Amino acid sequence: MVVFALFVISKAGGLIYNREFHSGLSKLTSNDYLMLAGSFHGMHAITKQLCPAPSLPAHPSSNAAVLAPSPFSNRATGIEVLESSHFRIQCFQTLTGTKFLLFTEPQQPNIDSMIRKIYELYADFVMKNPFYTVEMPIRCEKFDRALDGFVKVRS
Amino acid sequence: MVLYAFYMFDRHTECIYSRRWTPPSQAASSKNARPQSGSSTTSNGDAPPVRRPMSQSDDEKLIFGLVFSLRNMVQKLGGEDDTFLSYRTAEYKLHYYETPTRMKFVMLTDTKQNNLRPYLHQIWANLYVEYVVKNPLAPVEHPAGIGVANEMFERGLEAFITAVLPP
Repeated sequence: MVVFALFVISKAGGLIYNREFHSGLSKLTSNDYLMLAGSFHGMHAITKQLCPAPSLPAHPSSNAAVLAPSPFSNRATGIEVLESSHFRIQCFQTLTGTKFLLFTEPQQPNIDSMIRKIYELYADFVMKNPFYTVEMPIRCEKFDRALDGFVKVRS
Repeated sequence: MVLYAFYMFDRHTECIYSRRWTPPSQAASSKNARPQSGSSTTSNGDAPPVRRPMSQSDDEKLIFGLVFSLRNMVQKLGGEDDTFLSYRTAEYKLHYYETPTRMKFVMLTDTKQNNLRPYLHQIWANLYVEYVVKNPLAPVEHPAGIGVANEMFERGLEAFITAVLPP
């Protein structure tokens, strides 16, 4: 089980965190990574627009209707999983628009739960860090260490 | 199994064949009816609330640009021999196949579908090559799709899709 890298893209499309866990992807310059993150942000928006399926009406039977209507319920999502012959990108977008990109091997189970756990780590060690400014590159040692611990235990 | 659309692009970036199984206006109108409150808080690429519905050729250009950039991104990250296979959103899945001559085949289906790359390869080998390339009356290049949508090809595609992807 191999996790290649993690990217965090801010809601404006900037790369705010970039970490490689395992070599396997080509080495790129940091400028290239910034460019890739920016173009991924754009492509994510396009895939949202392309949605060919008619939007499904909300399930009246589910208890979601009892709660307050969510502004996010019938919003199309962009790319969630991208597959290529050498790797797989899982993308998780938070409600505020921050995107987490996890690069893994093509046959990797449970990335969904893994990426949510990483989001949790981000919330704990980045968002709760009083010295962190939002939308700026993440330089939090505790986040790095927690990620290391989490990813290494699983591989 | 739901099939939404099928596109073919030639090496000059032009869409030479497209087919949809869903009315395009439906998707566009439902998007306009989307509540605006969700898009007010974030700037993550949401469309402006009022937008004219996209025409079919706009869609084609958007899809071409998208698969082209995704393919380049994948090759940049995974090396020259890496190929882009598919992506999935919560609503649909896009399958991609590129021939050595840089023709691109794109299919949009529902999300539960496994990778359709072998089928796209078969459409190229058994239908496109047989009925379009080997057709003596078809031009070598297909500007604006001339010569592709002939009767044999259409019928073959119809039969192939109902055979391998039963509704």
